[in-house]
Amino acid sequence: MRILIVEDDELVADAIARGLSAAGFAVDRSASAEAASSALASEHFDLAVVDVGLPGADGLTLVRRLRAAGTLLPVLILTARDALATRVEALDLGADDFLMKPFELAELAARCRALIRRAHVNANGQLSLGRLRIDVAGRQLRIDDAVVELTGREWLVLECLALNAGKIVSKDRLQQAIASFDQALTPNAVEVYVSRVRSKLGNAALIRAVRGLGYRLDEPAAR
Amino acid sequence: MTRDAGRSPSIRRRLLLFLLPPLIALMLISVYANYRAAMVFMRAANDERLADLAIALAAEVKANGMEVRFPSGSQPTARPGALSYSILGPDGRQLGGNTPLPVVPPGKSNPTFADVQSGSTPLRVATYRLRTSAGPVTVSVAQVNDPGTGSAHYILASAWLIDFIQLDVILIIVWIGVHFGLKPLLAVRRQIEAHETRELKPLELHDVPAEVRPLVDALNLLFDMLREAAASQRRFVADTAHQLRTPIAGLLGQLELLMREPQAAPLAERLAALHDGTTRLAHSANQLLTLARADPSATLSDQFEKLDLKVLVERIVEANVDRATRAGLDLGAEASSAHVTGSARLLEDLLGNLVDNALKYTPSGGHVTVRCGASSQGAYLEVEDDGPGIPQAERAQVRQRFYRSAGVSADGTGLGLAIVDEIAAQHGAILAIDSGPGGRGTRMRVNFETSVTARRRAERVGTANPV
Repeated sequence: MRILIVEDDELVADAIARGLSAAGFAVDRSASAEAASSALASEHFDLAVVDVGLPGADGLTLVRRLRAAGTLLPVLILTARDALATRVEALDLGADDFLMKPFELAELAARCRALIRRAHVNANGQLSLGRLRIDVAGRQLRIDDAVVELTGREWLVLECLALNAGKIVSKDRLQQAIASFDQALTPNAVEVYVSRVRSKLGNAALIRAVRGLGYRLDEPAAR
Repeated sequence: MTRDAGRSPSIRRRLLLFLLPPLIALMLISVYANYRAAMVFMRAANDERLADLAIALAAEVKANGMEVRFPSGSQPTARPGALSYSILGPDGRQLGGNTPLPVVPPGKSNPTFADVQSGSTPLRVATYRLRTSAGPVTVSVAQVNDPGTGSAHYILASAWLIDFIQLDVILIIVWIGVHFGLKPLLAVRRQIEAHETRELKPLELHDVPAEVRPLVDALNLLFDMLREAAASQRRFVADTAHQLRTPIAGLLGQLELLMREPQAAPLAERLAALHDGTTRLAHSANQLLTLARADPSATLSDQFEKLDLKVLVERIVEANVDRATRAGLDLGAEASSAHVTGSARLLEDLLGNLVDNALKYTPSGGHVTVRCGASSQGAYLEVEDDGPGIPQAERAQVRQRFYRSAGVSADGTGLGLAIVDEIAAQHGAILAIDSGPGGRGTRMRVNFETSVTARRRAERVGTANPV
C-alpha cells in the first residue's frame, strides 16, 4: 500500500512518513500541491494524505483539481485550522476523511487503513479486516482462510458493520438492514443477531456496543 | 422606543413641546383679535341703534315744534343696557327726556358719539343736532355701557372656547401626523429588530425616508466595520491556530516515534513526560483558540442555523468512545431529537468540553452519559458522570477562566467550563451544574430557551458583559 504525503512542514511530514512506514505502508512525500500533482500523475498511489495549509495552491485546491480530473484516489485531509468549517468544505470537495492537527500517529494509520480498505471494497467487493476476509459480492466470510457459515440475517448484520468498520452503526440502521425478511422482528432482534455474529467471529474481531448509539466493528489493533 | 419613552428623547414629544408655545401664543392673539373685532362690530351696531333713536326723536321735535311734550320715562338706572334720553332746546332748556345727559361738544359728524361718565355710570351717548328755525335742538340718547359684562362676556367666552377647541384639534392632528410621518422610521426599526444580529447585513435602503437615510447609512457603515472586525478576528484565530498546531503536531508525532525506538528505552520516562507536556500544550492551545473563537466579537458573523442536538451528541460520543475505553469508562448516549438554532462549530466545542471534563475527572470503572432532548422548557444537552462531583461551594468558581479545583490531579487548562459558559450565553442557553442521581457525580446541563427573542436578549447580555 503506497501513500503520498503532501505536507510542507518538515517536522510533521517526517513524523507522518516514519509513523506510516512503521505501520507497514510505503510512503512518498511532496511539499507542495504542484509537486503532488506531478507525482500522482506519474505513479500509482493508494491514498494521499494532504495538509490544507500548503504554500501556493492549498490542500483543498489540490483535492478539487484531483476530483475535477476524475481521480478516485482516496484523500485524507489534515488541517490545523478551524475543524468544522474545513471538515465540511473538505468533504464537500470530495475528500474522504479528515483529521485535525495535532493527532496521534496510530489514529492516522488506522484512518489510512480504513480508507484504503473502503476503496478496495468499492473496487473488487473484497474486504479485509485483520483476520477477516469478507467477500461482499460472494457473501462469504473467512477467518484465517476458514469459511464461516452465517445465516441470512447474521450476514446482513456483519456486512453492515464491516462496511462501516471503525464507525458506530446505529441500532435503527441494523434493524432496517435485517427487516427486509418476511418474518416479524422481535424488539431485541438486533441484540440477538449481533451477539450471534459476535460469537461466530470469536476473537478475530471485536463488535463493541456503544450505549445508546449502536455497535462498532473494530479489527484487533494491527501491528 | 416605546419602552424607554420615559427616559430617551421622543421625536413626537419634542415636536409637540416645540409646537405648543407658539400655538398657545397664536391662540391668545386670536382670542384677543376675535374679541376686539366682535366688540367693534357690536359697538357699531349699538351706535347705529342709538343714532336711529336720536334721529327719530329729532324728527318728532321737528314735526311738532318746540311745544312737543315727551312723557317722562322711567327713572334712569345704572343697569347695563338701560336707555335714557334728553332733548335740549336752543336755549339749553330741557324740552324732554328722562334725565339730563352731559352735553357732548359737536363733532365732525352728526350724530356724534362719545363715551361719557355720568356719576359712576359709564354711558355711550349719541348726540344729534337738529337745526330748527328757533335754533339748534340737541337730542341725546344714551345707553349704559357694559364693559366686561353681558354680551362682552359672552363674546369673550365663545372666542376662548372656539380657539381652545381649535388648538386641541391642531395638537391631535399634529400627534396623528407625527405618527404617520414617523411610520417609515418604525419600518426601519422593525427592519433592525428583525435583523439577525449576528449576520450584520446592511439594512435595506429603498424604503428609508430621506431624513433617516444618513442614520441608516451610518448604521450600515458601523455594521460593515463590525463585520470586518469579526472577520479579521477570525482570520487571526485561524492563522494562529495553524501556526500553533502544526509545530505541536510535529513535536507530538516525533515524540511518539521516539518512544517506540528500542534504543530510547533508557529515556522512556523522560520521553513520556515530554509527550505528556506536549499533549497538554496541544490541549491548552486548542482551548485558548476555542475561547478566542467563541468570543462574541469573533462570532458576530457566525452562521446560526437550525441544528439537531441528537446529531451533535452522536458525533461527540463517537469521537470519544476510544478515549473512554482506554480510560476504563463506559461512555453512552441517550439522545432524542431536539432542534436548536445555533452554530454547529461552537456547540461542538461546548459539548466536547463537557464530555472532556467528564472523561477527565471520572475514575476508571465509572459511567458517563450524554443526553439531549426537548423538555417543556426547551431543548437541553446534558452530560452526567458518577465521578467525584463538584462541591456546592465551587460550582460558581469552576465557570471562571483558569480556575482549577484544588485536590484534583487531572491536568486541565481551567478553561473548559468558561468556554461552555461563553458558548451557552451566546445561544441564550444556561449552564446548570448539579449532582448526578442520588447526589453522586456531576450533571452538567445546558438549557436552551425556545423563543428567538430570549436568544436575542441573552445575546445582548452576553455581548455587553462577557463572562
